[in-house]
Amino acid sequence: MPSTDRLIRLLPLTALLMLCAATAQAQSFMVQCPAGTVLHPATVPSPNPSNYDSITRPLPRTDGKLNPTPAMANPHIKCQQLSGGDGFATMGDGTQSYLFSFGPLSGLADIVNGLPGTQQAKDFLQSNLTTSGGVLDAVKIGAPDGPTYSFNGAIGLVPDVQAVDGVVGGELTGHVDPRLIMDVGVLNGNIPAPMIAIDEGDELFLTLTNVGQVMRPDLFEQHTVHFHGYPNASAFYDGVPDASLAINVGGSFTYYYLAPEAGTYMWHCHISPPEHLQMGMVGQLYVRPRQNSATGSLRNALAAAQANDPLAKCGSSDILCSTQLPAPNTATAAVGKRYAYNDGDGSTAYDVEYPIQMMGFDPNFHFVGMTFNPESFADNKDKYFLLNGRSYPDTVTPGPLSTQASDGTPHFSQPLPTIINIPANGRALLRISDLNVTEYHTLASLGIRMHVIGFNARLLRDQDGNNMDYWTNSISLAGGESVDVILDATGLTAGQKFYLYTPQMDHLSNDAENFGGMMTEVNICGSVDPLTKVCTN
Amino acid sequence: MCAINSKTMFRRFVTRAAGLCAMLLAGAAQAAAPGITGPAFNLVAAPGYISQPDGASIYSWGYGCDGAPGGFAPAAIGNARCPSGTMQLPGPTLIVTEGDTVTVRLTNRLPAGAGNTSILFPGFDVRAAASAGQSGPCATAAVGLLTTEAANGCAVTYTFTARLPGTHSYYSGTQGDLQVEMGLFGALIVLPASTPAACSDARPLFTAAYNTDRGSGTPPDFRLAKAVFNNASACYDREYLFQFSEIDPRIHRQAQEQAGLACSSPIGCMAIDTEPYHAVYFLINGRSMPDIADPNYAPQYPNQPYNGNPHMHPGEMTLARIIGQGRMQHPFHEHGNHVRVLARDGNPLLTSTSKLAGPLLFTTTTSPGQTIDALFQWTAKGLNWDVYGHASGLAASGGDVDFNPVTDCDANGYYTSNPAASNFFEWCGDHRKPLESKPFGQVGSGGPVTLPDPNITALGAWYSGTPYFGPDASARAGGPSPIPPFGTIANDPGSEAGFAYMWHSHNEREITTNNIFPGGMMMMMLVDPWVFLINEAN
Repeated sequence: MPSTDRLIRLLPLTALLMLCAATAQAQSFMVQCPAGTVLHPATVPSPNPSNYDSITRPLPRTDGKLNPTPAMANPHIKCQQLSGGDGFATMGDGTQSYLFSFGPLSGLADIVNGLPGTQQAKDFLQSNLTTSGGVLDAVKIGAPDGPTYSFNGAIGLVPDVQAVDGVVGGELTGHVDPRLIMDVGVLNGNIPAPMIAIDEGDELFLTLTNVGQVMRPDLFEQHTVHFHGYPNASAFYDGVPDASLAINVGGSFTYYYLAPEAGTYMWHCHISPPEHLQMGMVGQLYVRPRQNSATGSLRNALAAAQANDPLAKCGSSDILCSTQLPAPNTATAAVGKRYAYNDGDGSTAYDVEYPIQMMGFDPNFHFVGMTFNPESFADNKDKYFLLNGRSYPDTVTPGPLSTQASDGTPHFSQPLPTIINIPANGRALLRISDLNVTEYHTLASLGIRMHVIGFNARLLRDQDGNNMDYWTNSISLAGGESVDVILDATGLTAGQKFYLYTPQMDHLSNDAENFGGMMTEVNICGSVDPLTKVCTN
Repeated sequence: MCAINSKTMFRRFVTRAAGLCAMLLAGAAQAAAPGITGPAFNLVAAPGYISQPDGASIYSWGYGCDGAPGGFAPAAIGNARCPSGTMQLPGPTLIVTEGDTVTVRLTNRLPAGAGNTSILFPGFDVRAAASAGQSGPCATAAVGLLTTEAANGCAVTYTFTARLPGTHSYYSGTQGDLQVEMGLFGALIVLPASTPAACSDARPLFTAAYNTDRGSGTPPDFRLAKAVFNNASACYDREYLFQFSEIDPRIHRQAQEQAGLACSSPIGCMAIDTEPYHAVYFLINGRSMPDIADPNYAPQYPNQPYNGNPHMHPGEMTLARIIGQGRMQHPFHEHGNHVRVLARDGNPLLTSTSKLAGPLLFTTTTSPGQTIDALFQWTAKGLNWDVYGHASGLAASGGDVDFNPVTDCDANGYYTSNPAASNFFEWCGDHRKPLESKPFGQVGSGGPVTLPDPNITALGAWYSGTPYFGPDASARAGGPSPIPPFGTIANDPGSEAGFAYMWHSHNEREITTNNIFPGGMMMMMLVDPWVFLINEAN
């Protein structure tokens, strides 16, 4: 290709450099979480002496009505706030690893307990003030220091009275005080990034706040959220900076999606993916099926949904539908069971679920990423092999890990152990996703066969309604793939222990340590609390 | 003043360069699945050079035409070329019809030091012999390990019956670790002998939509056939071919240095280390981003004629023909929706009642030598906001047609009753649901979110300036003086305003070109409004 042609193409770059000088002049942190929407109106008092509206609208309202309060919020509105910035994590050999990362700015109590950070609007919007008007200590601490931390609301909902539209209670559009967000958000990165879990039909308001990267003042990185695998995604909310907007340092962007079909998806930043993903901006995202709230015959529930809900309709020629009606069967909704998909036959039932994200870190790249040197992509070679951001034996350390960051203080860094507790004769759903950027990973099971029931966030079922599930002892995934695996503990007894591990033997290592890597333990229990995952023998 | 270090500045520079390259080509560069038609093909294996967007010119071997090909397809692409004796990467796409007796005459014009060469056609019962009319040492074909080979300067003819309609690969069966790496591979497309009546009858709405002149002309049909194979579920409206390969330039450099060796050995005389393997170029159809967005047969890539620049309209069924041609696996992530796999290596994945049984994937792994035929379809279904920007008081304008979502929609929930409408195939469930509650433009009647201040965002080259789809919606949402996005000539708000999706390798280090991001195995797929003419005949 003639080089002159190429040079001419690049001429408008000068215009870009001039534009750049005009951007990112001030912070613009906005947090959005309405208590009521057109699709999901709030429950307002009736009679309604205060003239509450069931829909949250921008302030100041000119129609004389009041926005619904958080207590009136519709339970199908889910909200979450994230920081985009940097942080540190602890590798299996004790090394501090620098991250480009997302951290939690809401749902912190749940996240520190290994749960999704997604909250109902009423919890997200809860007051962060004490009765005397000061800010709650929990909000000021921000980074939870242990499982006793209990605040699940948004950190930064204090209105910014100096902002033009800073109307108290104007959370839909209002700018908020940046100080708490910066106090908490700087260096609070997690690996994996805060987990997002929603139910089919929920509206999700996900606010990403770019707090900057204190370790890399030379960068002015934007960040985005890509909802990886979402069907019929819109380009605007797809997170690809080339095709949409990306938020600069000092700003917020609220992503909006109606929860799509149930499945195990994932999310990550889409700015300079070889860099931002390798550096740690990867997280878990799954959607639970409406079948969880079914009663009676599961097949009848599926048939009714497909007949009545245009979004659930599954025409015989619809290439995108994987939940064709199964053959007639007698499966009914069972107490205590949940389902991975709208299967209509109970084939994806489980007792307890474990999101597991496979990832690899290249220590050389992370060191270069912390310093100011040019990065090499072709030479990427992962040396840490992670399940939920940890290598063995950290994978079986209960509770969150913290890492001392460059400010000399410990920061909550890796919330998720990967201890698989299964009740004897019960079933565990492993929601396995992979966001490694360099190679394929294999995960194998010793002792308990893997039952693969879903792949890439879709039920394995053909267009005639036959299940295409299969049994195996190992699964292999590339970055950007997910699989749903059920471990069935039928016939096993409490106290037995098994292992999940990678048969890629060189991945059973933590950099120079010839021990560890991508491995964790499976315990058979008398019973397992489906929420806390605590094992009782 | 911007504070940027050299690394950051370079990255921004390259990012913008990618956008700008696309800008200058906007509206021209589409893709289809072009190739040469048979069933008799005369090919050469020959050396040549390919170019990469970092400026590298890489010595390669490839297949090319020997004499003029029988023809080119699709006929609507007028500037097709396949110059005699010239290699290309990938090799010419061979297009045949099911049942054809295919002959491929391969002449070895590689350097003598390369030794013999050959072609494998996996999945076919191939007979081979020295091509007729040769004398001396060429009169007898060389027997290779996997197939019959052509010695240097000699020709061998492969003959087989085209079965298994769908996408197939072909590649060298001789010293594959070197010859395939050097570029000796290509695609074979077998078209079905007959297509189901449903393909022409069940989608008349799409035919009507194509043929509706919205002021920009009637597009020709760029399909090679109406279906992948003879099954009503295998009909399609558009098709694209993606061949994934890698380059380790160290291997190519060694071959270049030894190209002049005198040699008469069938196994060649070059001493080339193909291990340890260290790829730094990651190619789709022989090109890296952003070159891949340039047109098919663009003159600046004399030996890389094929591009990757898919476009489609909402509701259309788009066929992706995907082939792994290198030695590595690549997780090809399709943004925007799942694909439904129809066939693997030309073998349909069907139920006992001939319905689809292939998986739904958002990431299709390409494996060496393996092909996947998969269907992709996009609509705005289920977003809970109207991507056409209709709202109370802003029902429709331009070529959009307002409708009653309760009474005017088809059984599947789409607005298909008027193929002349710009919003043909709109998802009815979200009609008139606005997105934003407090916009910069005109749309604003109670939607759930507030859009960010454009002053604190970076705008992508394929961002049309509003969240909405199509020029009519962009005008309504952006108002008379919208915030001007940078570089949107790649997706002009006034004529295109499509939704752009990145289709790329999710082993993200592979979306680089010799360590430079962006590059490598990446392309932008655009869903365009019906008012935008998708003309693959650039």
